[in-house]
Amino acid sequence: MSYLDEASLPLPFCPGCGHAKVTHAIDEALQILGRPKERVVVVTDIGCVGLTDRHFDTNAFHGLHGRSITYASGIKLADPDLTVVVVMGDGGAGIGGAHLLAAARRNIGICVIVANNFNYGMTGGQHSCTTPSGGITATCHLGNLEAPLDLMGTLRPSKPGFLARTSVFADDVPALIARGLATQGFSLVDIWDLCVAYYAGQNTLTRNSIADMMAELEMPAGVHFEGGRPEFARAWRDLYHPAETADDEGMCLLPPDAGLAPVAESILAARTGILIAGAAGQKIRSLATVFGAGAIMSGLHATQKDDYPITVMTGHSAAEVLVSPVPIVYTGIEVPDVVLILSEEGRARVARKLAKLPPESRVYVEASLGPVETQARVIPLDLKGAAKEVHRLAVGAVGVGTILAAEGIYPLEAFEAAARRLQKQKVADTNIAGLRAGAALAG
Amino acid sequence: MIEFLEGNDAVVRGALDAGCRFFAGYPITPATSILTGMMRAMPEAGGVAVQCEDEIASIGMCIGASMTGQKVLTATSGPGMSLYSENIGLAITGETPLVIVNVQRQGPATGSATKGADGDILFMRWGTSGGLPLIVLSPESVHECYTLTRAAFDLAERYRVPVILASQKEVGLTRERVDLDEARAAMPPSRPRDAAPTDRPYVPHAFEQPDDVAPLSPIGGPHLLRYTTSMHDERAWLTGDPAVISRMMEHLRRKIDDHADEIALFDHDPDVGAKNLVVSYGITARSAREAVARVRAAGGRVSLLVLKTLFPVPEAAIRAALIGIERVVVPEMNLGQYAREVQLFADGREVRSVTRMDTELVSPDDVIREGGLL
Repeated sequence: MSYLDEASLPLPFCPGCGHAKVTHAIDEALQILGRPKERVVVVTDIGCVGLTDRHFDTNAFHGLHGRSITYASGIKLADPDLTVVVVMGDGGAGIGGAHLLAAARRNIGICVIVANNFNYGMTGGQHSCTTPSGGITATCHLGNLEAPLDLMGTLRPSKPGFLARTSVFADDVPALIARGLATQGFSLVDIWDLCVAYYAGQNTLTRNSIADMMAELEMPAGVHFEGGRPEFARAWRDLYHPAETADDEGMCLLPPDAGLAPVAESILAARTGILIAGAAGQKIRSLATVFGAGAIMSGLHATQKDDYPITVMTGHSAAEVLVSPVPIVYTGIEVPDVVLILSEEGRARVARKLAKLPPESRVYVEASLGPVETQARVIPLDLKGAAKEVHRLAVGAVGVGTILAAEGIYPLEAFEAAARRLQKQKVADTNIAGLRAGAALAG
Repeated sequence: MIEFLEGNDAVVRGALDAGCRFFAGYPITPATSILTGMMRAMPEAGGVAVQCEDEIASIGMCIGASMTGQKVLTATSGPGMSLYSENIGLAITGETPLVIVNVQRQGPATGSATKGADGDILFMRWGTSGGLPLIVLSPESVHECYTLTRAAFDLAERYRVPVILASQKEVGLTRERVDLDEARAAMPPSRPRDAAPTDRPYVPHAFEQPDDVAPLSPIGGPHLLRYTTSMHDERAWLTGDPAVISRMMEHLRRKIDDHADEIALFDHDPDVGAKNLVVSYGITARSAREAVARVRAAGGRVSLLVLKTLFPVPEAAIRAALIGIERVVVPEMNLGQYAREVQLFADGREVRSVTRMDTELVSPDDVIREGGLL
């Protein structure tokens, strides 16, 4: 049974072009494999050889230049039992080089056939990533200065399933493709081909001189690698999927959870904006989340936004928490009501905002940081001293305890419940102890 | 269940509840937590999530997986949208259901990577060659990150088209109180993928009326599927026949544009006798809501139109909201993009663009003052 659509023949390639041979070799290889046509996909991209998919009586996918490996990978990942063949040229291998490398490293079970004719035939014979040094093309008419890409040598360190090189005129082409198709993991067959319209004529490359070129470039024909690494699409499922697949009714399966149902009541009268400014390592973000969750667990609404540098282990870490007895519409804090400063980095980060604060805002600051330039009321506190009694990471929780007690935003028990709800026990214990120490500090 | 979640978390929940079982993405601030959230959640749901070598591979894998019958999602920010561009065109011409989340950040180029903006609004609509329509939705809250992600999947299936969720840092990475169980209970079940009948030959892009949408038969399913980036006829055969190409262009345009009213999601809050109308979307809609509340509290009159569907432009909703209005105020976190769309229907009314692109939110005061609302 042929896998070609007989009605679509003859093939559209130039007389003498090797792409027709490649196409028939793939058909022969598919016949050796014998899979149902519905379970075979031929994926191509732009380039003369990309015209071939429409002549296959299988599923056929013709995508963007150099991206065939990405579609093929998505198809294989979604349906690992499919036989997925990619047919591309050396142009596609060049522009899609990152995909080639990634697919080989993943060892995803697609079979890539590169019809490698050393130039871009479709656009008039420009040089490609495999054009030999000194080769003449439309874009290097005095000779190519770039070294050619060795597909075998490049991909072999990734230890994929199967790598082979041959000439389109060799007898072993169908057999090598069949071995590639039968491979569980990633396979690639690099088929050196003749572009009769451009490269072959301009460089006197013939059927017989392909072998000489292989010798000269030290890129011999033959099987270059066979490996036994697990195929990615199946390996991913084996590793990540739970032993018993979850019941799939289209709904997200999460453990039954009580969420942040209220455990206390807040008497907060108006929307209050709180800025927590500290340093990396002070656990500001998670603390702000517990603080906001505590607000929710006392019946309030809350929003949280974090501000920290990309290099997360250094510099400032700040968070804005907005709490409100009514739903929060606008999430910005134009004038913070309360600022908590835990470190020098944090103070520097919010300096512009401190300078603009009105007298009625309150700034709670670690006392050792010295004076704060602001019109707002400044309350220096020995937060670090209080934290020492608890844990060195508790300084933020001490600060939050101080604010909650002094400002009366919501009851401490709601923060404690939130910490228990969201954090591991040891972390929650530390934060709760810090919170209580802070509340004591506020008097 | 009440939770304290970020918009990106809600996108993950919405996608899973919509039946999404394939995700491919590449890390980028401020969208990364969708990638990591999907990696965490997908195994339990029986799906696949993968980090790719780049954004081109991410959307390419999604397109491939979608054509095997999966509902698929990818997520990125502005720089990644640039790399998605060519494949968005492929998904349009191949009629591939696909949901893309663009958690926008201030640009251009790398921009302020950790700060918000709505600078990609027109780029999302017009950022692929050929200019054919797709669908763009814009959430203003964590709650809407859930509901509009669900809606995006339904629209992608209904119209076989890419749908972009125009989120941004200020929505995606802001934590809010939200109850997704309530949101879920209030929504209809997600739309399953239509199956193609097996008693006749399958024609992948079949249509009788230009706006018809053919069911999609998956690769690996009962039919052999053909798919091509090149200009094709209804069978996905290459064609150079101008009459066939013209029909196909008409189809790809009208299947979306003729259904703009069905796709339109918006909140209209009219104020009797108001001469001013605020039109907004996304995070800035919340500033607009606050501004409108303050104006009304001060005794002023102002109407509000919040758009959740940005493209196709909800023309009928905008025209209806403009009745009796003399001035339209359009606040947005860019240099004035959607104001140009509103201008198309203004019929001589003043359109005042209130813009900010310095990474700060447009404040309610900005809307009132620059909009001349009080």
